Amino acid sequence: MNFFEAQDKAKRKTGQLTLLFGAAVFALVLLTNILVALALGFTGTQAGLSFSQTLASIPADSWLWISFGVIGIVTVASLYKYMSIQAGGRAIAEALGGTLIHQNIRDPKQRQLLNVVEEMAVASGVAVPPVYLINESSINAFAAGFGIDDAVIGINQGTLDCLTRAELQGVVAHEFSHILNGDTSINLRLMAILHGILFIGMLGYALGRAGGMSRRNGLALIAIGFGLLIVGYGGTFFGNMIKAAVSRQREYLADASAVQFTRDPSGIADALKKIGGAAAGSTMTHPAAAEISHMFFGAATVKLASSAMATHPPLEQRIRAIEPNWNGLFTESSTPPAGPGSSRQQQRSGTTGFAGLSGDTAVNTKVTPETIATHVGTLSDNSLGKAQQLIAGVSAGLTAAAHDPFEARALIYAMLIDSEPKLAQDQMTFIQHEAETGVAATVERLLPEVLQSDHCHLLTLLEMSIPALKELSRNQYRKFSQNTARLITADGHVAVFEWVLHRLLVKDLHPHFEGPQNLHGRIKTIRKVEDEAATLLSILASHSDTDASRQLAAYTAGASTLGIQRRFIQQHSFDYEQMNQSLGKLRQLKPLVKPILIKGCAATILADGQVSATEGALIQGIAATLDCPLPPSIYADSTITRAG
Amino acid sequence: MELIIILVVAAILGFWIAAIYNKLVTLKNRFENAFAQIEVQLKRRYDLIPNLVETAKGYMSHERETLEAVISARNQAMAGLQTAADAPGDPSAMQGLAGAEGLLGSAMGRLNVVMEAYPDLKANQNMMQLTEELTTTENKVAFARQGYNDQVTTYNIYRQSFPPILFANLFGHNNDAELLEFEDSTEIQAAPSISFT
Repeated sequence: MNFFEAQDKAKRKTGQLTLLFGAAVFALVLLTNILVALALGFTGTQAGLSFSQTLASIPADSWLWISFGVIGIVTVASLYKYMSIQAGGRAIAEALGGTLIHQNIRDPKQRQLLNVVEEMAVASGVAVPPVYLINESSINAFAAGFGIDDAVIGINQGTLDCLTRAELQGVVAHEFSHILNGDTSINLRLMAILHGILFIGMLGYALGRAGGMSRRNGLALIAIGFGLLIVGYGGTFFGNMIKAAVSRQREYLADASAVQFTRDPSGIADALKKIGGAAAGSTMTHPAAAEISHMFFGAATVKLASSAMATHPPLEQRIRAIEPNWNGLFTESSTPPAGPGSSRQQQRSGTTGFAGLSGDTAVNTKVTPETIATHVGTLSDNSLGKAQQLIAGVSAGLTAAAHDPFEARALIYAMLIDSEPKLAQDQMTFIQHEAETGVAATVERLLPEVLQSDHCHLLTLLEMSIPALKELSRNQYRKFSQNTARLITADGHVAVFEWVLHRLLVKDLHPHFEGPQNLHGRIKTIRKVEDEAATLLSILASHSDTDASRQLAAYTAGASTLGIQRRFIQQHSFDYEQMNQSLGKLRQLKPLVKPILIKGCAATILADGQVSATEGALIQGIAATLDCPLPPSIYADSTITRAG
Repeated sequence: MELIIILVVAAILGFWIAAIYNKLVTLKNRFENAFAQIEVQLKRRYDLIPNLVETAKGYMSHERETLEAVISARNQAMAGLQTAADAPGDPSAMQGLAGAEGLLGSAMGRLNVVMEAYPDLKANQNMMQLTEELTTTENKVAFARQGYNDQVTTYNIYRQSFPPILFANLFGHNNDAELLEFEDSTEIQAAPSISFT
């Protein structure tokens, strides 16, 4: 199953869950009505009336009211939960009492964790997610978020203490699989829905207690309350069963993906063995953990592992699925040495031997439009090795800058400084006036190294700087984004690299500061957006070559892949407004149609058999805007220079 | 029927109040997290200062008092940071930290004045690098402080707004969180005002 199928499936699954929820609410309404009828009928018989007489004396519209009441309460409760997790992944992490690990942390274990997450993010082409540390001594982790942009990763202190780097990598890869497969967003919605049903039970409890104190219709209240309690908790019981079933399925998939991502089965298997060997296992003590038990790496609550309520398959089975020859022995947790293992360099030589090998062979494997489309949202082949190479290719100074909220802004500003001296001077003056004290000096310090870096590395740096930038306050962010826009337009036009940079920044940061945007892909075929697709391909083709006939050939290659009839319109300069307009429409394509579009773009780019710097940057910007995380192995091989 | 209407209204009200509670907690979390960023930067600063003093010692053995004043002010500020980190937003802790920082600032200022008399020291490679790093760190502290103050302001405004003000005390959010202002902040905070367009 590839990224698009997974996304599509996740969307459809949400639909199914909504249906299921509808059915559950219907059952709740029905049961409540029956319960009320029974309770009232019973109190009637106590007063000397017959059962049917009592019922007949109740006005008919009462039942309607009761039904509305139940629906209203369930809806309000679900909506409330949904609203409270609107902020996305970080809302969950904060609810668990997690603390954000700052990017410029120096603690070796935490640094190592951030490195692992960063590599995995760069390898899969998504912005680096913020990492939260949960103060629990058991070995567990989770990923949460509605989408890729608002996702966060949470790691228990115990996980950090007990696991080696390779094991940590396995766990992080498992969590990334949940993010990329859309599991996290299903999980959040499931949580809101379940809350609605659970609330009926809680209400029943409250009613029962109120009935105990009330004198007039106390008995009826107790009866209704007790009934609601049963209905609500019964509903929750079945809801939890559904939740567990959905979760169990996805755990195997995530484990398998983790092996695929890291190309190292022992990492995740060893991590699971350590959970089995640890006294605390993967159990979470925080009360909020039960509600999100389906989001964790290992079972968060103590339940019979084989029961229908278990959110995770039994450890033994998970390990056997990865290592069929496992001898059945768990590992006693011991603290692995933190110091040396935390360095990136040592690790690279230490990763499974063939990772480096495959890096060499990959140069020979031919990149085709097909491979590009299938690589979206997965981490396969040599992505992780490539990401490690990319990150290692960035100078230490720039990496440190990307990890510091103060310097990260200066780094982005420096990327936007023009190569033309006069203009660069104006831009520097602007920074001096408009940015906070010390930013201009930092820009000047970083500038020489930035000028020496190619676009591919700079965009990697940008993705690496996202978590640090997310630490800004909203005012600081607004100022930053204003300044960025001013620097981009300083020379009166928007270059390709500037556009890509801006796209990535907006995509990664805007939802965090200004609230998430929910986008629903509704357009089913490329045919409905032919004009926009043609414009997109025209822009791509116009930047693929200087020669007009070869541009036309590139366009034709893409257009025939997409099956569109529009003619090629040559672009003499990069028109970002047209680009944004087209992409704005193309974003609304259904997930299953997007790979066709990506394939078309790839066909245009690869018409001449190579990916130029501009092409590489453009496809990155396009893929990001279309919510298709593109691993760097696609474009990082190209010989890239600092081009316009 | 009345019972049902009462129930639904009660549920909506209950959730509304719960939402207020949650928002208060979230905003408090945010500014506490923002304080952690100040902590990171201040700690780096406190780590740099002994190195600087160590380097200076070799050149200015006659200025022991000034150097010792710097170290003791640094230690005090570090204690102040510890207290503040345990309770970000607490007025006395914040003022304590600000006060200790003020003392450290003036001790460093005196050291700078004294250093003017030692051109060799000022030209020392190590010294130049340390001074540079200290300046950068100070800028970062100022920036982190700005971020923290923004979050604190958001929290305070929300806490004082209606209706949260009705419930804030009940939920244990009795007091406004304290901004962190340093004495020299007029200069550092020269960051331009923001227009919301």
